[in-house]
Amino acid sequence: MIHRFASVIAGLACVVAATGPVAAHPHVWVTMTEELLYAADGSITGVRHAWTFDDMFSAFATQGIEQTTQGAFTREELAPLAKVNVESLKDYAYFTYAKVDGKRRKDAFRDPVDYFLEYDPKDTVLTLHFTLPFKTPVKTKALEIEVYDPEFFIDFGFAEKDPVRLVSAPAQCTAAVEKPHDDNFPITLRLDQAFQTSEANIGMGANFANRIVVKCP
Amino acid sequence: MPVTTGSRAQLTRGLSLAAVIVVLALAAGALDSAFAQAGPLGAVRPPPAEGVAGWIIAKQALFYRALSGLIRAAKTDGSAYWGLMGISFVYGIFHAAGPGHGKAVISSYLLANEETWRRGIALSFASALLQALTAVVLVAIAAVLIGATAKMMGDTVRVIEVVSYTLIVLLGARLLWVKGRGFRHALHTVRSGPELVAAESADHAHHVHAADAQCHRHDTDEEGDVLPWGHAHGPEPEELAGPGGWRRGLSAIVAVGLRPCSGAIIVLVFALAQDLFLAGVASTVVMGIGTAITVATIATLAVAAKAAAKRLAATRAGYGSLILRGVEVGAALAVMMFGVLMLTGTMASERMGMF
Repeated sequence: MIHRFASVIAGLACVVAATGPVAAHPHVWVTMTEELLYAADGSITGVRHAWTFDDMFSAFATQGIEQTTQGAFTREELAPLAKVNVESLKDYAYFTYAKVDGKRRKDAFRDPVDYFLEYDPKDTVLTLHFTLPFKTPVKTKALEIEVYDPEFFIDFGFAEKDPVRLVSAPAQCTAAVEKPHDDNFPITLRLDQAFQTSEANIGMGANFANRIVVKCP
Repeated sequence: MPVTTGSRAQLTRGLSLAAVIVVLALAAGALDSAFAQAGPLGAVRPPPAEGVAGWIIAKQALFYRALSGLIRAAKTDGSAYWGLMGISFVYGIFHAAGPGHGKAVISSYLLANEETWRRGIALSFASALLQALTAVVLVAIAAVLIGATAKMMGDTVRVIEVVSYTLIVLLGARLLWVKGRGFRHALHTVRSGPELVAAESADHAHHVHAADAQCHRHDTDEEGDVLPWGHAHGPEPEELAGPGGWRRGLSAIVAVGLRPCSGAIIVLVFALAQDLFLAGVASTVVMGIGTAITVATIATLAVAAKAAAKRLAATRAGYGSLILRGVEVGAALAVMMFGVLMLTGTMASERMGMF
């Protein structure tokens, strides 16, 4: 009897687990360019984000906002929206994750400063600028900044041109970006590659985030 | 039949039944998990980058960009409408693989009930089209008439969300109540022991053969320790699928379809900004049809899983019935759980942008 119940329960648990997984689909696409800000002593004081939203989301976000010139918005007109944006981003930890010397640093950033929205009337897209200061400036040989939405409602991607810039960094410092995916997926996927991917997914999911790797040897 | 071998055989059957259900349910959830990023309890994991899931994600991005391009093009070029409808349709199919389109709730609801695949498909289409409709109504009132901002629309969606998730909890609770009674009854039948069951079966043999000829077919060659599952005193499938069945399904349609699709709202507002609101409406409806096809596919798998479970249960009398009722209780519990998880924000459904 107990065995039977166990098998029933196990079966049900699997049914629930199978129909339950949270899948996600992005509704917002962000193209980002990032800057890492350095102090005179070579420590990193913060991250300056510039996130450009896709045109559909930009149209949605600017819906109902007063404008003096048709088809354009000034920074002042967008100021209330920018405030709402950065305030609600706090709930998502600004989608920004820092790793110092290979260790994830939780709660690394203070509230954003110098934030504003900019509207590009030609491409009809919004760009959100904001700076995340580190609570304590980071002096390290290896810093990683990851930007992603774990729930994947926002699909972050680096800008094609100059996605990362180091501002007033010591001369020996370099930055590189790692992208999670390209739009061009190979048509023939080798089986061993597929397995590598699935294994990597289990243990090291964070491998697939947008990552900035800064090295200062 | 000696008790020990009998119970071992039953255990084996029970396990194989559970295994079949698991396999089918996994198949039903396959499209879900192709996109799975975060576990139900919010385990943080970034999206997969490669493999099939990565490819679908990348394709979705392409479709989405094509969508905005075609809406723009439709402004000056009437032929762009055809492309827009085609892309909307395909985007709807892919898009529904994500959360917020009631796949989990609808398939659990179908597992918990005696539903035909036709009804499963009808439920999927009705809820998906209701989702499209609520998006159109919301944007028509908020953006077109009132000139509301994105934040106001987002707040409205959040209110609708709470109502929708509460309805899902209530739907699950009601199912749990009804199915729980059926399960208790099946349990009672099994508990009354082989001897009693055998006696009862012999007693009712003529009645059983008359009333449940087709259900009983598998059992006729077995001896008296078998009570056909169809003889369980719960409501018969025929009764449930009969008149009044639609009103029953309506609660599921409303609970799932009330919350508008965030993607549709964004497309509609974008189309409005291009002075092409009607193109947006057409795109939303076609997208809804695409969404319905994905949801209906998964719903059909759920119905198939249930039918397979039913066939297996039919070969094993009391215990089969017990397992079947158990599956129903589990599915009812799942519906309620999804509602609670979404209501408490533990399980992300959809997010209205980042506002």
